[in-house]
Amino acid sequence: MKNTPLILFSFTASAAVVGLLTALRAELTRVRGGKIFAFMALTVLPALAMWAGVNQHLERSTSTQFCLSCHVMADFGKSLYVDDKSYIPAVHFQNHFVPPDHACFTCHTDYTMFGDYKAKWRGVHHVLVQYLGKIPKPEEIKLYTAYNNRECLHCHAGMRKYEEASSHRKNPEMLSQVAINQLSCISSGCHDTVHDVTTLKDATFWTPKASGK
Amino acid sequence: MTATLMERRIRWSGLLIVVGLLFQMLTLPLTHPLAFVGFLFLGCPLVAAGMLFFLYSLISNDKEY
Repeated sequence: MKNTPLILFSFTASAAVVGLLTALRAELTRVRGGKIFAFMALTVLPALAMWAGVNQHLERSTSTQFCLSCHVMADFGKSLYVDDKSYIPAVHFQNHFVPPDHACFTCHTDYTMFGDYKAKWRGVHHVLVQYLGKIPKPEEIKLYTAYNNRECLHCHAGMRKYEEASSHRKNPEMLSQVAINQLSCISSGCHDTVHDVTTLKDATFWTPKASGK
Repeated sequence: MTATLMERRIRWSGLLIVVGLLFQMLTLPLTHPLAFVGFLFLGCPLVAAGMLFFLYSLISNDKEY
């Protein structure tokens, strides 16, 4: 219950009780006031509860805990703790370059108009595979399409450290090629160690110290 | 006093909504993909069906009984 705002749970429960009362006393609708009450109870309140619930679930589905709740994702979660700076997700996660509570979604959503919804739709497909299909091994899991630089540049574009890095200035065209996705950040040999779950058994891991929060 | 057709429809729509909302309440405390899918593909359609059935009962012009 700790993740559910109590107010939303209470509101949904209240809407259900009011709906039940209306269903049991449908004869109330014989008078004008009863019709208005039924309209509120059977249209407005459920719609509000549904809208709030959808928002709550969508927000929660962007959490790292949510993504890692499927067993097949465990190794990917573990890779966030690898003590090696060449592991791009680990560096971002451990240094809070991405919000640790929303680490997966921050990098794996599409930063386009309907990117979040496309990401959720892919997630629904993953759930279907998890329960109705053949679950792949972690090392068999691949992206649907090559990772788009757009997702990296959502944060890095315009950043001084990114633009002035000598490795990004090897040739004058480099930054513009990255910007138009001609030169991949990940698969061009520069930042190519991503989750790399096949090497985890030989890796050392960082253990977060208690922050005292 | 017997219930009219409209009242019977309102009763059914109310029950659909209540079942949908109860299902939504079950999924709300859970942070799991199954809860998300259950909310979206079971809870929401039940509530939406109840709402639409209620609105239909208001505008339909069927003879009583």
